[in-house]
Amino acid sequence: MAKTREINEEVKAEGSKPIIGRILSYTFLAFITVLCLFAFYMLIINATRSNAQLQAGFEVFPRENFFNNFKKAWNDESIPSIPRALLNSFTVAGLSSLLCTYCSALTAYGIHVYDFKLKKPAFTFIMVIMTIPTQVSAVGFIQLLYKIDLMDNYAPLIIPSIAAPAVFFYMKQYIESVLPLEVIEAARVDGSNEFRTFNTIALPMLRPAMAVQLIFSFVSSWNNLFTPNLILSTQSKLTVPVVLSLLRSKMNSQMGDLGEIYMIILLSIIPVVIVYFFVSKNIIQGVTLGSVKG
Amino acid sequence: MKKRILTALLASAMILSAASCGEKAAEDTTTTAPAAGGDAAATDAPAAGGDAAATDAPAAGGDAAAEEGKVLNIHAWNEEFKGFFEKYYAGTKPVNAGADGEEGTADDVYYDKAPGIPEGVEVVWTITPSDGGAYQTKVDEMLKAQETAAADDKVDFFLAEADYILKYAGSDKTLDVSTIGVTQADTMYNYTAQAASDANGKMKGVSFQCCPSALIYRRSIAKEVIGSDDPADVQAALSDWTKFEEVAAKAKDLGYYMTASYAETYRTFSNNATEAWVDADNNLVIPGVVKEYIAQAKKFMDNGWTLPDGIWGDEKNAQMFAGGKTMCFFGPAWYYNFSMGNAQDPDAGCFGDWAICQGPQAHFWGGTWLLAATGTDNPTLVADIMNAFTINEDICSALVQNEKQFSNNTTVNQKFADDPNYGNAFLGGQNDTAIFVELAKNIKFENSTIYDQLLNEGLPGQFLGYFEGTATEEEAYAAFYQYVNENYPAIVTP
Amino acid sequence: MKKKSISYAKWGYIFIIPFFLVYFICSIIPLLSTFYYSFFEYYENGLDVIGPTFAGFDNYIALFTPTKSGNIKLLDCTYNTMIMWIMGAVPQIVVAMVLALIFTSTRLKIKGQRFFKTVIYMPNLIMASAFAMLMFTLFSNVGPVNQIIQGITGETFNFFRNTWSARTLVAFVNFLMWFGNTTILFMAGIMGIDQSLFEAASIDGATSTQVFFKVTLPLLMPIIVYTLITALIGGLQMFDVPQLLCGGSGDPNGTTCTLVMYLNSFLSGYRNYGMAGALSVILFIITGILSFIVYRSLVTDESKGGKK
Repeated sequence: MAKTREINEEVKAEGSKPIIGRILSYTFLAFITVLCLFAFYMLIINATRSNAQLQAGFEVFPRENFFNNFKKAWNDESIPSIPRALLNSFTVAGLSSLLCTYCSALTAYGIHVYDFKLKKPAFTFIMVIMTIPTQVSAVGFIQLLYKIDLMDNYAPLIIPSIAAPAVFFYMKQYIESVLPLEVIEAARVDGSNEFRTFNTIALPMLRPAMAVQLIFSFVSSWNNLFTPNLILSTQSKLTVPVVLSLLRSKMNSQMGDLGEIYMIILLSIIPVVIVYFFVSKNIIQGVTLGSVKG
Repeated sequence: MKKRILTALLASAMILSAASCGEKAAEDTTTTAPAAGGDAAATDAPAAGGDAAATDAPAAGGDAAAEEGKVLNIHAWNEEFKGFFEKYYAGTKPVNAGADGEEGTADDVYYDKAPGIPEGVEVVWTITPSDGGAYQTKVDEMLKAQETAAADDKVDFFLAEADYILKYAGSDKTLDVSTIGVTQADTMYNYTAQAASDANGKMKGVSFQCCPSALIYRRSIAKEVIGSDDPADVQAALSDWTKFEEVAAKAKDLGYYMTASYAETYRTFSNNATEAWVDADNNLVIPGVVKEYIAQAKKFMDNGWTLPDGIWGDEKNAQMFAGGKTMCFFGPAWYYNFSMGNAQDPDAGCFGDWAICQGPQAHFWGGTWLLAATGTDNPTLVADIMNAFTINEDICSALVQNEKQFSNNTTVNQKFADDPNYGNAFLGGQNDTAIFVELAKNIKFENSTIYDQLLNEGLPGQFLGYFEGTATEEEAYAAFYQYVNENYPAIVTP
Repeated sequence: MKKKSISYAKWGYIFIIPFFLVYFICSIIPLLSTFYYSFFEYYENGLDVIGPTFAGFDNYIALFTPTKSGNIKLLDCTYNTMIMWIMGAVPQIVVAMVLALIFTSTRLKIKGQRFFKTVIYMPNLIMASAFAMLMFTLFSNVGPVNQIIQGITGETFNFFRNTWSARTLVAFVNFLMWFGNTTILFMAGIMGIDQSLFEAASIDGATSTQVFFKVTLPLLMPIIVYTLITALIGGLQMFDVPQLLCGGSGDPNGTTCTLVMYLNSFLSGYRNYGMAGALSVILFIITGILSFIVYRSLVTDESKGGKK
């Protein structure tokens, strides 16, 4: 493939005005980069400032209160423990993103590879439900949880991720473009059972899509406030966004510490950034990998 | 590569979830019994106070509640009472602990008369901020599940605010506290007992504070605008709304704001309403005083006498710093102790540059009641706590002396009001208790409905467009009616 | 091959069973009960629960009844949601497409791709509530932007009290949070296209504009459809950003109130199952119609584009 690329470039290099194009591209990229990093810059700067400094207005340079804020955030006994909340979020987001990507691939594979009577209706059904906002069924979901006694539990935060129509749809699109049915036929001839074929032959080919959706679903679960806020109540079970919203509304009626809040936001982002850096390498690799198979 | 990461992720996630299950039992609480808490503090701080608390604490309340539940479940919407409880009842928190909760320093002093929590009883706090009625929803949920909940999960007592106490006190979800040994003491402000009682006069709980609300002003600005920072002079200059407006205009000429929020004066009107928000047939009634407020706020916004921020807004809060340009705030003792952190900031605040007076209109604002939940499995402990914060003069004195509260004990308050040496440093040494003793006489807790919280909190915001001139008055009313319909379908709007 | 796969039909069911089982329990049942109660008067009033009493279409009628000042909040909220979605989604898709082309271009040979790719996705890592908080600090009356404005004009501009600036900020936050995500999806799509097609095109002497419109865009259609539909779902669910930036009632004067914020007003505080249910049904219908339009129009384009 590398070769194809080179040939391609040689052909294109003869084309016109790559220099202007590159200047424009870099300028555009630089602009976008500034836009994206500005929020992070502000966040880091704000995490180094004390409450009074923060409320006094904006500053460009960091101040000296980073460790103060860290100590406050880490040890604050008036809110659910931050290290604990990070751990909780990691558990929930980790498990639900894994379940989500694996089961979506499973479903997409099932619908793409096999012929069965309900195949078409099943697919149409998922397409129809894909656009239903989760909030629409929130009321009924909570009532259900009360009935089966699963309030204040992680299961209702993790299990529903098995049925993620949008992730399914992405997987389906991807499988269509990378997975020739012949490969599966070949595996069957070799006597591989269907489940094994999926795990050992199809899954590796879906890596790029899996990586992309893994990080997407991890992030969305990590950042989810709506559902955990409705379901969780025990202080030691709360996830980071819930704790953050507690802290933020605390500001509304009593002395709160903005420096501490920014520090907690920073702390809540670090794990996601780490996971992202791990998987992003895979995404980029995977994307290239996908093109070979295509 | 990918597989390995997946496996690692999966493995670590599983370990985490396993760990979280294991630790659950141990970590479910935010506060533990004083035996443990006291010791921990004592090891951290070998100073005298720590040991005293650790040894004294469990002894007192020990046997009384021996037969009762092992978990005391308390619901609250903020940390205010939790702090007082831990300092003066449980004795687990040093009395000199700062607002930011830093503990474990060598100077820790524990309150040596704290009754303490009986040994083996765990105190579990659930704090749900009250934004948009979230706290009420939470408490409702818990109270409805009360009957079927396991003994250790039952709510024992919860805190309620003036705006919605009627809803709970009037229901059978709260306990007639006379059955557990709490009665209206002579030293209690009558309205606090009245507010916590149902239609049959059965009292369901007590308040640990009395909340007359005052005008809180910046001394330095008052000097410039009125020519004096003496509370008597300032009161004379601001004794009615006409004078208040005159001074507002003057303040503006000098580059100051009279108030920092268009909703600043709302409670001075609404809590003096002569009609309830809702009539007997559930029709919405806009109280006459609220209409007066709307007219006043419009005038203040039009003239630029106030900042266009909400009652809890950041812009308003920033006005409490030394650099602030706002002269007046309105609020009770809890307000300047608990919500004016910016004014108390050691670097940017203006500690001591404040004073209080009655202002143009006597009123009250808020107040925190402790209501016993029906079905509590710790009745003795709950009753003991309620009595501690109302009739225990040591604790009430500590609340005034250390926490600058205005307690719900007339004897204690009078003692401080009469003490020429007592003063609040935040108010430049002014004896605020003396002022509040007078203001407390005017409090009328009348015409409340179960709907008050969201009506009172929602109204000023719904009218902001009108105040600013981006919506007509008619549109503002329509938006407010819509808001009422959304929140309280039972109310019939015009 | 077809004959053979028939014997594997049961595997099809086995593979899709977890999805449908979970969906049935966690979504269908709650959804049906939500819909069911939309025909009832059923709400919490204080500690009491009123109803459920069958009320026919009363809840729906209430949703379409104009207020005193002649507005129908439901329609206003639909309009607000769509406007803010379009204001965010159009730049999101355009910028993502440009970026994806820049990154995948073999001619431009952009250096530091890893860095840029990492950076553009980063805003998505911040939770919406935190992001909204940061933006609020930035644009508030005492924030840095207003300090600059005040320096120039001598007066502050209250971004959150002006309809269009408030809407723009909401759209901007949504754009910033999601364009990286879209870029990655587009890149995956472009790189999944068979390279030999590009080669063939350039050997045939096609210009890069021609290559884009004749090769890249048609082949990218499935991904674009996917992106548009997910963006649309996200748009219709728009909640935390406007809620935090503009307050629960969508200041100023409800002009940033989205459909889900409206729904939330029936769910926060006292729950009104009846009205929330009716609004959910309407939201459901709106979503269905919009997705159908998007899906239809784009899928037809795809077949016109000559694929397959």
